[in-house]
Amino acid sequence: MTTFADTRVERRRRPARRTGATVARPGFVWAAPATLFFLLFAVLPLVLVAVLSFTDWDGLGAPQYAGLDNWKALIHDHTMIQSLWLSVLITVLGVAVQTPLSILLGVWAAGHQRNRAILSAVYFVPLLLSATAVSILWRALLDPNFGVPSQARWLFGDGNLFGKQASAIGVLVFVGAWQYTPFHTLIYQGAARAIPQVLYQAAQIDGASTVRQFWHITLPQLRNTMITSMILMVVGGLTTFDTVLILTQGGPGTDTTISAYYMYEQAFKSFDFGGGSAIALVLVLVATVISLIVVKVSGYDKMRSSSEGL
Amino acid sequence: MKRRPNYLAGLGSLVWLFLIGLPLYVMLAATLQDRSDYAANGPLAFPKHITLHNYTQDFSNGFGHFFLNTVLVTAAVVAIVLLVIPPLSYAIVRSRGPITTGVFRLFLLGLAIPAQAVIVPMFYVISKAGLYDNLIGVILPTAAFSLPVCALVLTGVMRDITSDLYEAMAMDGASPSRVFFQLVLPLSKGGLSTIVVFSALQAWNGFLFPLVLTQSDSSKVITLGLFNFQTEHGIDIPGLLAAVVLSMLPIFIVYLFARRALVQGLMGVGGK
Amino acid sequence: MKKRAWLSRAAAGGVTLALGLSLAACGGSSSGSGGSGTFKVLVYGDASNKVEKQIVDTFNKTSKVKAVLQTIPGADYQQKLQTIINTKQAPDVFFNWGGGSIAPFVKAGLLMPLDDFIAKDPNLKSKFLPSVFNSAVVDGKSYGIPMRGTQPVLLFDNQKVLSDAGLTAPKTWDDLLNAVKVLKAKHITPIALGGGDQWPTLMWYEYMYDRIAGPGLFEKAMGGDKSAWDSDDSRKALSQLKQLVDAGAFGSNFDSVKYTDGGSVALVAQGKAGFELMGSWYYSQQQQDNPDFAKSGLGYSSFPTVSGGKGDPNDVVGNTNNFYSVLKKTKYPDAVAQFLKLQYSDEFVKAQMAIGNLPTTTNTQNFLDTSASPDYSKFQFNLVKSAPSFQLSWDQAYPQTASEAMHTAVQEFFDGKIDADGFIKAMQALPTS
Repeated sequence: MTTFADTRVERRRRPARRTGATVARPGFVWAAPATLFFLLFAVLPLVLVAVLSFTDWDGLGAPQYAGLDNWKALIHDHTMIQSLWLSVLITVLGVAVQTPLSILLGVWAAGHQRNRAILSAVYFVPLLLSATAVSILWRALLDPNFGVPSQARWLFGDGNLFGKQASAIGVLVFVGAWQYTPFHTLIYQGAARAIPQVLYQAAQIDGASTVRQFWHITLPQLRNTMITSMILMVVGGLTTFDTVLILTQGGPGTDTTISAYYMYEQAFKSFDFGGGSAIALVLVLVATVISLIVVKVSGYDKMRSSSEGL
Repeated sequence: MKRRPNYLAGLGSLVWLFLIGLPLYVMLAATLQDRSDYAANGPLAFPKHITLHNYTQDFSNGFGHFFLNTVLVTAAVVAIVLLVIPPLSYAIVRSRGPITTGVFRLFLLGLAIPAQAVIVPMFYVISKAGLYDNLIGVILPTAAFSLPVCALVLTGVMRDITSDLYEAMAMDGASPSRVFFQLVLPLSKGGLSTIVVFSALQAWNGFLFPLVLTQSDSSKVITLGLFNFQTEHGIDIPGLLAAVVLSMLPIFIVYLFARRALVQGLMGVGGK
Repeated sequence: MKKRAWLSRAAAGGVTLALGLSLAACGGSSSGSGGSGTFKVLVYGDASNKVEKQIVDTFNKTSKVKAVLQTIPGADYQQKLQTIINTKQAPDVFFNWGGGSIAPFVKAGLLMPLDDFIAKDPNLKSKFLPSVFNSAVVDGKSYGIPMRGTQPVLLFDNQKVLSDAGLTAPKTWDDLLNAVKVLKAKHITPIALGGGDQWPTLMWYEYMYDRIAGPGLFEKAMGGDKSAWDSDDSRKALSQLKQLVDAGAFGSNFDSVKYTDGGSVALVAQGKAGFELMGSWYYSQQQQDNPDFAKSGLGYSSFPTVSGGKGDPNDVVGNTNNFYSVLKKTKYPDAVAQFLKLQYSDEFVKAQMAIGNLPTTTNTQNFLDTSASPDYSKFQFNLVKSAPSFQLSWDQAYPQTASEAMHTAVQEFFDGKIDADGFIKAMQALPTS
């Protein structure tokens, strides 16, 4: 992601045009297959979501126009409001847990010692498991009577992890971190390796400590990677679904019913496809707004100049 | 270069190793013993009588067939991505004009469309098209939703090809397609392997589209097989976990033999 | 050199794609729309499927038009059914619970009234117990032929746990409260509850309301009179349930336990819990998971009587029966009619008995002794036969759209997250039609 904002290429390209050498450029035709495909299977459904959100449809007959009914119901639906907060909470907690962890692990793993290579090989195993598999694994591991809690009462008490809101959210955030931290670690590891050693050598001559080097060289150099990683975390967090479906089913009560799951429940369990579509649209809006905020706050625009300096 | 070993980070990484390793150990240990041993000894014990029965039993429950379906879906998704994304990125990088800029913005925005959000109309469209419970109905949306990330990654990589090289080719009077095949593709290998790895993982691990868009055993993929196994035989934890192990086995084999390519590929998602 | 390698790889990719798509297309069409000379039978996937397989095989031996059996795992059955029933992939014949579970399909004009079949073969009606047959009659037309069996909810127990504690199966509510106290003192969870699934919790409400208020209260509420939920009887039932939960009857972690993943089943089988309230399919579940325990350690009794309650102590709740319904658009109505006739055959009844199910055909009584556990079958048979009222599970009686909200309320009241007022309000908010 750092690269598509790169302006160097652009700058060097211009003189070529002035010298008059005609470089054959590809037409729109080259972009057409991907664009059409994406329009058909991603954008068109999104438009249809908007349309369906104004209808009443139970999946049996044809959708009936229902005006603003679904939207009016949504405003008064406290489960909906709560589900948005829960989505944001789980996302924020996920970012807060995974970002420092994966930066530290990634920077550490970027070293070239042999033991690190072996350890990192194990770290990345969760990456190979689907969210479905990970959730099933943890559901079995955390069973109050037949899983790890039954053998570690001092830590888990009665093991009622899925029966209380705080612990159920904790489980979701933990399992999410377990699965995705390795991926983000990998991204940071790659980025950390790409930091020019010259910068560190210069700092060492100045006598800067390791911690100081980390704060003043490593972190600033990782900035663009952090933005990429955080956007992926935000989108991933807001759309957490497999883990909720398998681990908590939105429970206890509606305590972990996040928006993505609530939408699924409304549409495919209560067969209110119109209401489900309205929730889906809200979810898209929230995801877009939050992604934009991350981009703005993190200084996406300034990214060009920072990569310029390399 | 002399650097002090960082003990704190080392310790932290060992803790994390424990958190990653313990569940993996419990999983493997459980799958190697039969149900009654597992129930009697608890999840943390080392298996006393090793058996592969859980694995053979999973295969007799149709896992082989689910495997084949998943392989088909994955291969097809990767093929679609490889067919449409390189030309797209080439056009974005090289062509001048408002249309391709708009296309690029479209894919940027596409990043924020969660697959969940479109699942209702997707179901509607797929079932109207007669593709419900058909692997094609899973392949198409899965491929579509891995396009934005792939487009961004590959476009980033192609931007790094300097204009000198294009100019050199232009001197020879090369057509856009010759430039594409002789210059752009060979120089984007890293990016291509990234999009292959990324889209393959997306397809292999996809759950929501198969969940909503398929139904019968003949079109079941592995993730859905796992989910159904859990709802039907949840009590059989060793059998269930054996199914989990089986579901990651092919990727694990790729990981063993091509760890470098896989890891490099995934690193590519984060840009250079 | 490099170029060629890439080209050949790209070509290989294209071939893979073409291959993948064509294979997928094959996979799709072979399982697809009825095909030539086959019709699809869709059933709820669980331990009972072996009987359905056997019956389909029997049918296919003599019929030119073949039946193809498909299953959808239990937890997803109803939602998947509704999503496909109006598509090309819809089955010809499908499993359901009668009543509310097929009403929306009848309303949408998707189902075939079976009265013509019955006119040709009156046995399709007369061979079944009338009370059961009638629960799949909508607007005076028959839409379902009973299959599988009746499934009353019973109170199961671990006999060894009870005898070790000097207890017997509770006859009255006070017996049950006493058993809770005794077992709790021995650090055994008195009653296993798969609270994570929510519907097992609902069974406690169904029985409690029936014992205290009789079947009338629920009928009234279903009929649209929502004040029924706010009646004294309703409040009394809730306070008794609350008393049971507060006494620690279900332990403290029941919301993390599930029935569907076998958690609560194993608790009882391993003697870590004394009782579990569950449908009669519990027997075949234990038989599958813990065969030894099912044979020698599993006890059962009807729900205890509650003193001062208006309900008849012989009332039962549960799933009245399962049914096969037929889609209007099936291409092979005659073959389907032949297939349905097998549902009252001796072979069917014997096979159901062997796995502990209790079919509701008129010839059931002749085969009680051939059952996997004759005592258990006779107990169930007499229970259902003598019950003045058989209340269909609330979540089946209400429209499907109500079940999520109902389950949530049921769970939250047990958790103490909402009080009686909150529960009453939640029930009143449910759509009844």
